Amino acid sequence: MTIPGDSQQRIEAYLGRLRGRLRGMKDDEVREIVEELRSHIMDKLVAGGETTAAAVDAALGALGTPEELASQYVTDSLLARAEVSRSPLQILKGLFRWASLSVAGFLVLFGAVLGYFFGAVFILVALLKPFHPHSAGLWMLPAPSGDFELSFRLGFGSAPPGGRDVLGWWTVPIGWMVGCGLVMLTTQVAVWCVGQYRRSRAYLKADRPKLRM
Amino acid sequence: MKGPAARDPEAGDKWEVQLRKGCLELAILAALWDEERYGLEILRRLESDSDLIVSEGTVYPLLSRLKALGMVGSKWVESDAGHPRKYYALTPAGKRRAREMARIWTQFSSSMSKLLAPLAKGE
Repeated sequence: MTIPGDSQQRIEAYLGRLRGRLRGMKDDEVREIVEELRSHIMDKLVAGGETTAAAVDAALGALGTPEELASQYVTDSLLARAEVSRSPLQILKGLFRWASLSVAGFLVLFGAVLGYFFGAVFILVALLKPFHPHSAGLWMLPAPSGDFELSFRLGFGSAPPGGRDVLGWWTVPIGWMVGCGLVMLTTQVAVWCVGQYRRSRAYLKADRPKLRM
Repeated sequence: MKGPAARDPEAGDKWEVQLRKGCLELAILAALWDEERYGLEILRRLESDSDLIVSEGTVYPLLSRLKALGMVGSKWVESDAGHPRKYYALTPAGKRRAREMARIWTQFSSSMSKLLAPLAKGE
C-alpha cells in the first residue's frame, strides 16, 4: 500500500512526538514501541482501504495523543527499572513517578527518602569521625534539667562542653554498619513495594483507560 | 434522604468502567489462548467475541507491561500487507495465570449470579 506524502508526514509527525516523549528509555525499547505503533497504523489504513489525511487522522486519534500514550510506557519503564535496580537514584526516580499517580506511591516515596536520609547520615558520621574525632559521633550532653540528652553530631563546630563521646572509635564501624543496613533495608522494601504495584497495574489498570461502553 | 450514590448519577457508570478495567488483562490473555495474534487482531477479537470495546491506546502499553512481566512473548513477522507485525503469544507463566484467573472468574460469577437471581426475576 502506498501512502501519499502528506499522510506519511502526519504519521511521522505523530511517531516523532511519541519518540520525543519516550526519551530516557532504552533505544531498542523506543524503536520497538514506535515500530509496533507504525505497524498498527498501517494495518488500520489497510483495513479501512483509504490513505487520505482524514483516514490517517482517524487512526491516530483512536490511539490518543502521543503524550498520553508515552506517559503509560514511561511509567512502566521507570517502575520496571526501579524494581530490578539496586541504585537508590533509579529507585527514587521510579518512586517519584509512582508518587505522582497515587497516595500509596507518595507514602512509599516518603519512607524511602527518610530511610536513605538516615542511612546517609550514619555513613557520614562514620566518614567524618576520623577528621573530627573530638566532636563527631554520638554524644551524651548534660541537659539544663539536670538530665542527660543524646546528641548525634557530624562534628562541625566545636566539641560540646561537658559532653561524653558514647561510642568513641566504635562510631566508625557502627556508623558504617547501621548506615549501610538502613540503605539496604530501604532498597529492599522499596523494590518490594514497586514490584507489588507493577503487578497490580498490569492486572487491574491502565493509567488513563478509555473504555467506551 | 439522598445518599452519596443518589447525588452522583455517574456512580453506576464509574462502577462499570472499573469492572471492565479489571477484566481487561484476563480478556487479553484469553484472546491469545488458542493462537498468537498481533495488536490489532487482539483488539478485533475483543470486539467480536465480547462487547469489550477497548481503546487502542490502552492495549499496546498493557501488552508491553504483560511482556515485561513474562506473561506473553513477542516476535516480528513479515506480513503480506508489506509491513512487519508484532505477534504476541502466551508464555507458560501466562497460560497458568490465565487459567487461574478464569477459574476465579467462573467461581465468582456463578456465586454472584445466584445472589442476583431474585433481582432479575423482579423486573
